[in-house]
Amino acid sequence: MKRDVVIGIEIHCELKTESKMFSGSKNTINDIPNIHVNEIDLGHPGVLPTLNQKAVELALRACVLTHCKIDPLLKFDRKNYYYSDLPKGFQITQQFHPVGKDGYLDIVVEGETKHVRLDRIHMEEDTAKQYHIDEHTFIDYNRAGVPLIEIVSKPDMSSALEAKEYVSTLRNLLIFADVTDGKMEEGSMRCDINISLKEAGSDAFGTKVEIKNLNSLNNIDKAIEAEIKRQNDLLDSGEVVLMQTRRYDENLKTTVAMRSKESAVDYRYFPEPNIRPILLDASFIEHVSKNLPWTPSQWFDYLTNLGANDIEANILINNKTLLDFGARVLKDVKDSRLGLNWIISELNSYMNTLGEKLFETLSAHDFALFLNLISDKVISGKQAKDVLKWMIESGKNAQTLVEEHDLKVVSDDTSLLGWIDEAIKENPQSVVDFKQGKDRAVGFIVGQVMKKSKGQADPAQCNALVRQRFLEQ
Amino acid sequence: MDKTTSILKLKEIQASTNACVTIIENDEKTHEGLLSNIPVALKDNVITKGILTTGGSKLLSNYIPPYSATIVHKIKQAGGVIVAKTSLDELGMGGTGTASFNGIVRNPHDLTRQAGGSSSGSAVVVAAKAVDYAIGSDTGDSVRKPASFVGVVGTKPTYGRISRYGIIPYASSLDHVGYFTSNVTQAALMCDVLSGVDPLDQTTLPVCPTNTLETLNDNVSGKVFGIFEDVVNAVNDEETLKNFEAVCNALVKKGAILKSISMDEDLLRACLPTYYIIANCEATANHSNLTGVNFGLTQDGEDVEDIMTKTRTVGFGPLIRKRFVIGSYGLKDENQEKLFRQAQKVRRVVVDEFTKMLNECDGLIAPATSSCAPLLEGANTNVLSNTHLIAENYMVISNFSGTPSITIPSLPVKGLPNGINITCKVEDEATMFKLALAVESCVKELL
Amino acid sequence: MDKATILALATELNFSLSEEEVNNIHIEFESLINLLGLLEKIDTTHVEPMVYPFEMPLTQMREDKVDHEITQAEALMNAHVQKEGYVLVPKVVK
Repeated sequence: MKRDVVIGIEIHCELKTESKMFSGSKNTINDIPNIHVNEIDLGHPGVLPTLNQKAVELALRACVLTHCKIDPLLKFDRKNYYYSDLPKGFQITQQFHPVGKDGYLDIVVEGETKHVRLDRIHMEEDTAKQYHIDEHTFIDYNRAGVPLIEIVSKPDMSSALEAKEYVSTLRNLLIFADVTDGKMEEGSMRCDINISLKEAGSDAFGTKVEIKNLNSLNNIDKAIEAEIKRQNDLLDSGEVVLMQTRRYDENLKTTVAMRSKESAVDYRYFPEPNIRPILLDASFIEHVSKNLPWTPSQWFDYLTNLGANDIEANILINNKTLLDFGARVLKDVKDSRLGLNWIISELNSYMNTLGEKLFETLSAHDFALFLNLISDKVISGKQAKDVLKWMIESGKNAQTLVEEHDLKVVSDDTSLLGWIDEAIKENPQSVVDFKQGKDRAVGFIVGQVMKKSKGQADPAQCNALVRQRFLEQ
Repeated sequence: MDKTTSILKLKEIQASTNACVTIIENDEKTHEGLLSNIPVALKDNVITKGILTTGGSKLLSNYIPPYSATIVHKIKQAGGVIVAKTSLDELGMGGTGTASFNGIVRNPHDLTRQAGGSSSGSAVVVAAKAVDYAIGSDTGDSVRKPASFVGVVGTKPTYGRISRYGIIPYASSLDHVGYFTSNVTQAALMCDVLSGVDPLDQTTLPVCPTNTLETLNDNVSGKVFGIFEDVVNAVNDEETLKNFEAVCNALVKKGAILKSISMDEDLLRACLPTYYIIANCEATANHSNLTGVNFGLTQDGEDVEDIMTKTRTVGFGPLIRKRFVIGSYGLKDENQEKLFRQAQKVRRVVVDEFTKMLNECDGLIAPATSSCAPLLEGANTNVLSNTHLIAENYMVISNFSGTPSITIPSLPVKGLPNGINITCKVEDEATMFKLALAVESCVKELL
Repeated sequence: MDKATILALATELNFSLSEEEVNNIHIEFESLINLLGLLEKIDTTHVEPMVYPFEMPLTQMREDKVDHEITQAEALMNAHVQKEGYVLVPKVVK
């Protein structure tokens, strides 16, 4: 029997702020446990929450980008339950009045546009991190209180591909808006998938299964495929799909039931008495809307306008760190096309080996000046590769290195012709070859000149002058 | 009074009254200010860094906080010296002083009687003249009632005047930091010391005058004292009523005007249940952090849930667990509408009515309690009587509305302390202290 | 509130009650019903629940900066069991 797949996705996304949602400790993933905490994060007696303005701003950005209706009156509620990773015994969230509602995201799946509706976006705080080892659980409160937004879609997706594309598009949008770093493998973005099957064309929904904590795009794809198969198999053999929470097991390549409670938990939601509603100024909301960092699409247009082709633009868009660096370079550089070449080939290649360490010794400003030295013909393209290598190794700027290594490009006609004439005199056959139509004679003489000049001769200029000399013979 | 004298006195009264949980001998003055070298006692729900803070509960009987409450910083910055953490009914939930894990607190005027609660210890140490200033907290009259029973001034300023950061909560929308002093002038001084916006408490008032002491006087000529008639009518102790009338007449002699003000009786009788539901529901959620996972008197267990259960069973007294069961019941999804939210609606009706009453006068005045402190043994209450619902519990209205309210010692009843309560409009501490000072002078003259 | 409900609530609250305590709560709840009757007498049609004593909205929020941390030692000093910088508990059942 043909069945429709119905998928809804809930994404928990850590916000890119300095401090936590309700306290002034650092928002960071740090290996040393329990060093970025304070009594508020630990849920000690007597503490009170204070709302982080930047977190609100970033939540608003997410709302604007997904066309949500924004509620300017921020209200918070308590979600009450006991668990060892929840120090206060309640989570401060926005149950009754999410900051954004009824938005949407248009995604492109196999060339077609798909409109995915969003139910809500709301702010809340993250829990502590737990590590289960042998018979013990180790609790690290560094993550407790980290600001989150929860983005809930309507069940508008109908395939693993659509789900994956939705998450990928949303993730990119939020990364570019500087809302989150989107590092799924580090847990800064976590997806829960709700999936059910129904008879093709029917209005009656099937039983919903929740797959929790998917932490990579690939796993989203695989988990959904596995779950669709599982549910189809169950239904085909006349069995019932149970409403339960499952997780994806990478080794078994199937979803596995998590231990579930017998009955639904009553979270006893009620308004947080320690945070009065906050009225956001209309001008504040407008400021956020009008000052969004560029979207991937806006970057694409900018890069292609500068001369990048589609492939080149996408290489940069898929590497935000390189893009951010490159953008600063492109502002200061004289020749954008040259800049793009070097960023997309040389720097990209260095990033593959060094990762983000590349930027510890190389600044965007210095790189731009370096590129300008090439356009100004102070150094040749060939020399430039060495200079860049030295820059990255030493952290020194190009000008300093050029002087240290005594590099320059000689492109004045007098010097060049001096070497050219010498080379031609030493290699009279070259003239004969040229006149016989052997163009490589030019390259040969240019090579000789490069040797004589210890690489300092400007190859392009040299080439032109050699031809000229040959023609004069 | 200096620190040494204070500490000696605290030790002297400890055996009989059991007012203190901890006596602190090594705190020194660190700044100069309004409280230079003056000893101050703190209710043991005020968090003090490095010093045991129990909240009156066995569950916190080993808790050494890593931070201090904002008011502790303020007291220190004003030159104060902390000399004691005083006993309280467990987690602030109680009105008798008999429900602390640390044992019963006794009234220094008559050791067979209650001191009232929940700020029992703080009330007692001031009454016993061991300190002039003691901090308490007032969620449903927990400063203003014990003040009446032990014969000191008990002040509860406007909600948000004093930061609650570092005060172990009871019910967040009703909790106020309050304090005890020997006289009204000291109360005005303490208001200036403790007031102020706190970035760590977003419910603090953005504008807080700190010139209360400076502008204090007892000139009440032309001031309208609104006599809260229903409270007066619910008092059945003749002596209390006679004393109250005498004070009111004395105020008239000072040029004050008396006006009779009333509230609908049904509404007034609904105040206690409203308070009970809101307070228990909020408290239950507030204390969900007390599980023994990362602090507290942890009991060993097989798994985390077992640890939590054993810790909370051993750590909370039966009265607290009872309150939590009721609070949790009221918050259940299917009950919230008719219990918790209904109580919140009645709160609004009461506050609206109360605001109208306050608009008709400069301040409401009534006996703080219907009589002197009850006996520790055999106190019997008819919970549905007006005496109980109204006379003994009307002061919760100021917790609903956040209005500033103060209890001043009046003439004795049966030779024991009894107080008068004055409540004024929101943020009108200036008028409140003025009216209180006038009452204090009248009482002095009458004695 | 029958005894089964009371016990269920206690379980949700993560503590236990002795039989005597359950009885006391049961009895008290009966008298609480009377008190609740007083609430029901008040007309609350069209009245919104009052969550805060004052209701003017806040306009100030906290600036996003790191200015409030305690040390690891302070964070852990009240934990019953700690190990290698973590709070240690027996394995969570989930």
